[in-house]
Order: sequence, then structure tokens, then C-alpha cells
Amino acid sequence: MEYWNPYTETLPREKLESIEFSYFKNLLSYAKSHSALYRDKLKGMEVGDIKTFDDIKKVPFTYKEELRKWQENVEPFPYGGLLGVDIKDVCTFRQTSGTTGKPVYVPESYESWQWRIESWCHILWMAGFRPRHRVFLPFGYNVYVAFWEAHYAAEKVGCEVIPGGALDTKGRVNKIIELKANAMTGTPTYCLNIAQEAMNMGIDPKSLGIERILGAGEPLPEATRRRIEDTYGCHMFDHIGSTETCGFAGMCEVKKGLHIIEPFFLIELLDRETLSKEVAEGEQGVIVITPLGRRSFPVLRFNTMDVAIKGPSNCDCGRTSRKLMEIVGRVDDIRKIRGVLFSPKTIEQLIRSEFPDIVEFEIVVTREDIMDEITLRIEATPKLGKDDIEDLTKRLKERAKIKTNLTCKVKVEPQGGLPRYDLKAKRFKDMREVK
Amino acid sequence: MDEIRKEIRNIEKSAERLKSLAKDNNAIRKNAEIILTHLYILKFITPVWGEEDQ
Repeated sequence: MEYWNPYTETLPREKLESIEFSYFKNLLSYAKSHSALYRDKLKGMEVGDIKTFDDIKKVPFTYKEELRKWQENVEPFPYGGLLGVDIKDVCTFRQTSGTTGKPVYVPESYESWQWRIESWCHILWMAGFRPRHRVFLPFGYNVYVAFWEAHYAAEKVGCEVIPGGALDTKGRVNKIIELKANAMTGTPTYCLNIAQEAMNMGIDPKSLGIERILGAGEPLPEATRRRIEDTYGCHMFDHIGSTETCGFAGMCEVKKGLHIIEPFFLIELLDRETLSKEVAEGEQGVIVITPLGRRSFPVLRFNTMDVAIKGPSNCDCGRTSRKLMEIVGRVDDIRKIRGVLFSPKTIEQLIRSEFPDIVEFEIVVTREDIMDEITLRIEATPKLGKDDIEDLTKRLKERAKIKTNLTCKVKVEPQGGLPRYDLKAKRFKDMREVK
Repeated sequence: MDEIRKEIRNIEKSAERLKSLAKDNNAIRKNAEIILTHLYILKFITPVWGEEDQ
């Protein structure tokens, strides 16, 4: 069967929107009566005030900073005013990665956890994961949600799951071979690291037999997606989600953009300047999310600060859900360097598409006196000789200048000199703020 | 879809009754609650449009 839920995945737009509107009002009412945050935030607002779809915009945004604030010294510990159920109904603790500050602690009741997993089943099924797949999860099982969802959803769609925790990369390569895993979910860069480790062991990654990979935990630029496909000889898919909001969009076999999982989520893509108007197809907008059925941690209009390009609501796969064509990046990842707007994603796209011999990289911005400096720290494949490295460095400098309008220094690091990530990679370091 | 929704309501009634019959049995009560959780999901994924409360 082509769809996980043929009923909801092919509903006409007006019906989906009517359902989401109705679910939004139900959640608003629930949040007001069960969450201290929303009791306070929505004081003076009643469900009856939301009469049309446009009225949803009357509900103020929720920001991550607010979530942090409502957990500080607010009972019940550790979830504070964000908890939407009795604390005795919480069955699982999760937390955000803390990349942008203090982590947010996220409570999941059994109901909410099952709701999250159901949403994720759509993501896996869209990416072609089926009961015939033996899915390897190269992930340190811990407090972060990323792969737990993948694990339980893969079980639910009928796959066989191999938990790949507590192994080093070599151990994971061996386990994939030993158990003949044929699918995987991992951070895109860690998938590349596994491939590199396999090559170091004298094994062609294509011979591992991995048919499908679903990327998780970090952005997947198109160039990286294609590189992973070429490296493994497999199909590589993307999805997007966060601990606060769940996985809310996934890639289908057409591989053009990400389908929003409707009616699980109400997604608004708002004009970056005013944050009030929905952008048109093809335009960039800030992603604002409401997970419509999760009650243990109700979140209304969560402003993710992520920017995406709005896609059409038709697709060759036949799904009628709206699409995000490209995740451009986080609003706060885009920096001004020497007066020029700089997005780290541009460098990643460049390296992944044009420099297959660079296995790892890091972008460091520093300030020397009054001048900002960008240094691209790179690690190349061991097979390169001195002349090759010199040529690589020269070409990277030239191409980076063309792509960013900024002069970048390139520093070649020894093998293993740069950190590897199996969760969210931190390849962009703006040290100007540290000073 | 109407038949499916009707069946979901029937199971819900049975699960509620099972839960109330098993007040003194943790195992049966908990499993009845788990059925009710999955019914919440089933109702969520078989929505009716145009209704105020689902």
C-alpha cells in the first residue's frame, strides 16, 4: 500500500483545513484548562474568539525562551508550567539538546508518546520503510528524543529494529554486516562517518546492503543527501522535527520537499519581517507549529525560528498535504560577517557537492582586531598527498569566495582532528560572541 | 469510514466497561487504559470535518 493512512493523506485541502481548525480550537481549550503557561498566556482569550481560520493568528506565538522560563522554579518539577497532564501520567522524560541554551524538559504521557509515534509512522512509510526492512539505529540511546521516535515508529510500521547504541563506529559497521541490516536512520553526517569508517576498514559502503536511510537530527542539504545516496548506493530521505514539536514533515519517494504530516500539525509559514502574513508558494517563511493532538505538553503556535521555502500542496505521490520545499536554516544561524549576510549552510552545500575528499569540516568565525575572519577547518581523506591537499585548499578558498562573497581561510586538520557527531552536529562556531 | 468510526465507538464503550470492571486488578485496568489510548489515536486519524468537537 502506498500510503500509511490513505484516508487522511489524500483528503482534499479544504477538508484538511477544516479538521485542523477544529483540532486547533480543541487544543486551545485544553491548553487553557490544563497548562499553567497557557492559563497565563491566554488570559482574556476564549475559544469562541477563534471564529475563522485567520483568527488563529490572534493566539500569540510561543517561544523557546518562554518554555525555559516556565520550567524554572515552577512546580511540578521538572516540567513546571508546561505540563498538560497529571504528573503521574508522565511515562517518558525527554529533553532538547540545549544547542541554544538551557535544555527544555519534555514530558510525554503514554498517550502523547503514542501520538508522536503515529505521526512518525507517516514519515517512515513515506520514505519507503516497510516490514521487510531490518533497520539499524546508530544512536547513543539517551535523553534526546530523535531516534527513540524512529525506533518505536519503525517497530509500529512492522520493521525489525536493531538498536545500535553503545558501539563505536567500527562496531556499528560490523553489526550492520553481521545482521544484514538493510535500512538505517541516522544524522546525515554520522551516516557519512559510518561510510568513511567502512572504507577505512576496506569495505565499500555500497556492499553493506543499506537500501534506505532516513536522516534525522540535523538539516540535510540536497548536496549531502545525494552524496549519501551515491556513497551507499541507496535512497536517502529527509524529515524535520524537534523535541518540542515532534517530527512534523517527511520526504516521499518523489524526493522533492517535505510533506507536512496533516492533520497532526498545523504549520504556518510566515513572512520573516512581519510574522503576520502567510507567504506565497516559492517564498521563504518562518515555520510556526502547533502539534494538534499532543496533550501532555501542549504547545500552541511555536515559533521555531527555522526558515523554509513554501511548496505546493500537490505532489506526484498523490498526497494532498502541504510541502516545505527546502529548509533554509535557522533565523539565528544567519550572521553578518564583514557586512555580508552569511549562512553556514552555503558552505555545507559547497563542500558536500564539490569536495568529496573532505570528510569533515568546521566553520569558525573570529574577530582579529576589528576584522572578522572565517576559517574553514577541514579534514581530508587519508589517500590525498601533499600536492592534492594544496590543490584542494586553493580550490575551496576560490569556490567559497564565489559562493559567499567572503574570503575564507582554510586550515587542514590531521585525521581525526575534528569532532564527529552522532547527534546534532555543531560545525558552526561564532567565536566573536565568546569574546 | 462511517463503519470504522462506529466500530471505534463500540470498542471505546467496551474498553471503558472493562476498565470499570477491573478496578481492583492493575493488569486488566492498565491494559484497558492502553486500549483507550489507542482509541484516542484512532479517533484522531479518522476525523470528521465540519464538526466543532471530535
